[in-house]
Amino acid sequence: MKKRLWAFVAVLALVVAACGDDGAETTTTAAGEATTTEGEAATTTEAGGDTTTVAGGDCIVGMSWNNYNEERWAKHDEPAIVAALEAGGCEYIQADAGSSEEQQITDVENLIAQGANVVMILAQNTQAILPAVQSATDQGIPVIAYDRLIEDANTFYVSFDNVLVGQLMAEVIFEAVPTGNYIVLKGNGSDANSDFLREGIGSVIDAAVEAGDITIVGEDYTDNWDPGLAQTAVDQWLTQANDDVQAVVSENDGMATGAAAALDARGLLGTVALSGQDADVAALNRVALGTQLVSVWKDARALGTAAGEAAVQLAGGATLADVEGTAEFVYTNKESGVETVLTSILLTPIPITQDNLNEVVDAEWIAVEDLCAGGATAGPCAG
Amino acid sequence: MSVVEASPAQSEALEQGPRRSVGSFLRDNEIDTRMVGMIGVLIVIWVGFHFLSGGTFITPRNLWNLSVQTSSIAIMATGMVLVIVSRNIDLSVGSMVGTVGMVMAMLQVEWLPSLMGRGNSWIWVVALALGLVLGAAIGALQGSIIAYVGVPSFIVTLGGLLVWRGFAWLTASGRTIAPMDPNFQLLGGGARGSLGDTGSWILGAVACVGIIALLVMGRRRRTKFGFRLRPIWLDIVLGVLGCAVVLATVWVMSSYYLPENLARAYAEDNGIPWPEGGLLVPYGIAYPVLILLGVTLVMAFVTNRLRFGRYVFSIGGNPEAANLAGIKTKRTIVKTFMTMGILVGVSAAVSIARLNAAVSGLGTLNELYVIAAAVIGGTSLSGGIGTIPGAILGALVMQSLQSGMVLIGVGAPVQDVALGVVLVTAVAIDTVYRRRAAR
Amino acid sequence: MTTNQTDGVTPLVEMRDMSVSFGGVHAVEDVSIDLRPGEILGLVGGNGAGKSTLIKTLAGAQKADSGQIFIEGKPVTITTPRDAKAHGIETIYQTLALADNVDAPSNMFLGRELLTRWGTLDDSAMENATRKIMGRLNPKFQNFKTPVNALSGGQRQSVAIARAVHFNARILIMDEPTAALGPAETEQVRQLMRQLKSEGIGIIMISHDIHDVFDLADRISVMLQGKLVGTVDKDKVTMDEVLAMIIIGKLPQDVTQTELADLRG
Repeated sequence: MKKRLWAFVAVLALVVAACGDDGAETTTTAAGEATTTEGEAATTTEAGGDTTTVAGGDCIVGMSWNNYNEERWAKHDEPAIVAALEAGGCEYIQADAGSSEEQQITDVENLIAQGANVVMILAQNTQAILPAVQSATDQGIPVIAYDRLIEDANTFYVSFDNVLVGQLMAEVIFEAVPTGNYIVLKGNGSDANSDFLREGIGSVIDAAVEAGDITIVGEDYTDNWDPGLAQTAVDQWLTQANDDVQAVVSENDGMATGAAAALDARGLLGTVALSGQDADVAALNRVALGTQLVSVWKDARALGTAAGEAAVQLAGGATLADVEGTAEFVYTNKESGVETVLTSILLTPIPITQDNLNEVVDAEWIAVEDLCAGGATAGPCAG
Repeated sequence: MSVVEASPAQSEALEQGPRRSVGSFLRDNEIDTRMVGMIGVLIVIWVGFHFLSGGTFITPRNLWNLSVQTSSIAIMATGMVLVIVSRNIDLSVGSMVGTVGMVMAMLQVEWLPSLMGRGNSWIWVVALALGLVLGAAIGALQGSIIAYVGVPSFIVTLGGLLVWRGFAWLTASGRTIAPMDPNFQLLGGGARGSLGDTGSWILGAVACVGIIALLVMGRRRRTKFGFRLRPIWLDIVLGVLGCAVVLATVWVMSSYYLPENLARAYAEDNGIPWPEGGLLVPYGIAYPVLILLGVTLVMAFVTNRLRFGRYVFSIGGNPEAANLAGIKTKRTIVKTFMTMGILVGVSAAVSIARLNAAVSGLGTLNELYVIAAAVIGGTSLSGGIGTIPGAILGALVMQSLQSGMVLIGVGAPVQDVALGVVLVTAVAIDTVYRRRAAR
Repeated sequence: MTTNQTDGVTPLVEMRDMSVSFGGVHAVEDVSIDLRPGEILGLVGGNGAGKSTLIKTLAGAQKADSGQIFIEGKPVTITTPRDAKAHGIETIYQTLALADNVDAPSNMFLGRELLTRWGTLDDSAMENATRKIMGRLNPKFQNFKTPVNALSGGQRQSVAIARAVHFNARILIMDEPTAALGPAETEQVRQLMRQLKSEGIGIIMISHDIHDVFDLADRISVMLQGKLVGTVDKDKVTMDEVLAMIIIGKLPQDVTQTELADLRG
């Protein structure tokens, strides 16, 4: 019996060791940075007060991820953030809240306790994170709201214009399908982005919906942006509509994958217009193959760089308004009607269709072999 | 044909005459009343949604979809029955689906093509086999810690829930892996992943013959030993009902036809000239459903006909008695978790084949649906009680509710509330029913 | 008065100098008892005397720290219940050790199931065998398909006894066999024990009911706080003297009349 136990412990240790190397590939920079900050003293910089020089080791930026478990964060956002921070002489530490609002508040406190001069937050829930933001602001630590808005005027909002994302994807779909039946796949209900995107989509199609040219035969939030749930939902809506659907507006590429599977099962893949967001590998491949019309590309590296550069400036004592390239963004809460004026940097997303596939290849966002897998011949895949 | 004296309870009942309830009649003849009740509930749900959806629910297309949508959870629910019956729980199945699914995806998309050559027709077999082995290994690991080290299964599998979710991400650094190997995709159903009508009818005929054979063999066996028999009319009714259900299912599956463009592609592939009025190509039973049926038969066999199944139930009923009877309880527990692991592998294969992609969040929250299916199907969390067909019915009930609600336009948050309410209600009814029956 | 020696007959079971400790507590300390063929040995003592623990070492449910066990004169090692059963020792526990959710035939053959030639469970054969056995013991018993937790206490008891008797036990251990039974059922069990005795089976019976013990047992071994007080022939002692052994720990030849009177009073 004991032998069995030790055998399994040994196997487990081997497995952990083997997989530890895989994980290290993508996160060595993060891990490397994190270990050196342990013994450093925290130097808080007062916004607008005496500036302290940001020497290497005195500038620590903490990143609070809501849930690291998505392709883009490790692949694109994080390396860009880290590169920008290193260039500005700052250290990078991070925490992952595993989709838990409570955990994220703890994470923010921990990052501050570890000496962060600036905290960047990718909020799981824009309301629930407010106490952590308040606490940071009280301690004189600037807060950057990364990609997801936080309804606090003291935060620095760095994102892509998500309303614009929705608008851009809807424009491409609407041009191809000006009249007909639409399915709209929204993201997670408690994610403000789902509503921003819907706002943008609405700005394009609402008029046609009112005029009766477009009928929405299926629309709903999707728990956790889950592709499997999206697939089942599209199955059901296609059944209810007897396949009479001409367009599926999916708010992201993960759900578009699910929608594509459901369309494929009915032989509708390629004839029904499909949209997505994130420009992930599978989606871009579908664009190249002609089975997805558009994926809105937010070069997350640009986002990471912009956020990283802003963090460096804030750590150096700049006020929110001092940071380069800012604009005012007025956010109106739909339920309360309260307006919040946010200092922000909003980057422009790019819709990727078959006409401009070379952009993602040239920017080294995706390799040509991955883009053209499966025999695609559009754009850079030709010849 | 001799009939043994009735027991005191039965003779008392016979004396009561027509006042004897349907329930006790069914019980005396070894028909599971709870199962009958659940089938009734299912029928009510289906008919209800049919009217609410304006006649869309009870159609070949929707029922075909429903059968595929139910498969992956139902496959795992059969294994969860054994785990729960033995007084354990497995909270890690969702995360295991993530890890095993991602590994199978990486195998067929990246690792095996470089080893075996792109497009090798054995890739899907190797990927599937390795996935099942991985599932079994994870199950054995967790089971061993539970049985031999003595850590409660709740804790071990809770840890597993975290660990295997992490590994799911680490396997491909969070990337979405798509598409799957063309042969592997068939496991998920779809136009080419179905049996077609000829195959389905043959299967239906075989199943019908099988049911009748089982009934006949049962009668013969009991006659040989002189045991009490079911009234012949009851056996005939059961046989007829069983065959009717099987054949009706096959008929529904074969009434679901390929949409026109897919039918044209089918005609082209098979060199059939396209006729004037169009060609009706039936789907037949989808492969995931076929896999589920296979799993059901195997698990029912294991539970009822093998010592392993008997031991699992005995351990659940009285672990001390099982030990004193000389049963190797620890080894049995490890085997239940290994079985669960293999079924996780099967379910993960079906899931990624259906989605034609593997995402690192694959299988999230599956453990809740699997446990709910088993429990709604009559498995008691205190151990010792549960059936395989019940778990599948439980999965079917839950998926019918979920899919039906989408069909009629009920939003996602309301769906979650409804499923939770149904789960608690089902268990509450069950608890009261058991208490009454015990008196 | 006390007898540790058999009269030239090899004892069916001999347990020599058995000791079991839990932590620092001596549950059983250097206890030696023996059982002759066709004999009923009553094993009595107050709470915590160590009788159950001692008997568990014979049943394979408890490992002894030291001591030896001889079956028909040959030394044996018993570490698991299977070992005990292999030597013809069957046990009926106070809790009956039945799996409640499983029916009578399955309980009968628990751990020793009858298999078909393909290795699957032969439920019909097991049910058939159970009917025959129960027919001998309890002809009114007919619930072969219901889980045993739906049966009455007496019916459960008969299943447990049938299980012990069926497998050609030479040595039967019965822990409080009549504790949960009514008078009619108790009489049934008593008759069964006499019958088994006449077949040459040896029975070790643990009981707190001194009347039962006096009615059935041939010899009585008394334990007190883990140690053996002594073993006496039932015919040669009175109930009070045995009580004195149980409560005060004094052998009949050592106990005074006043002490006996105190016990009664």
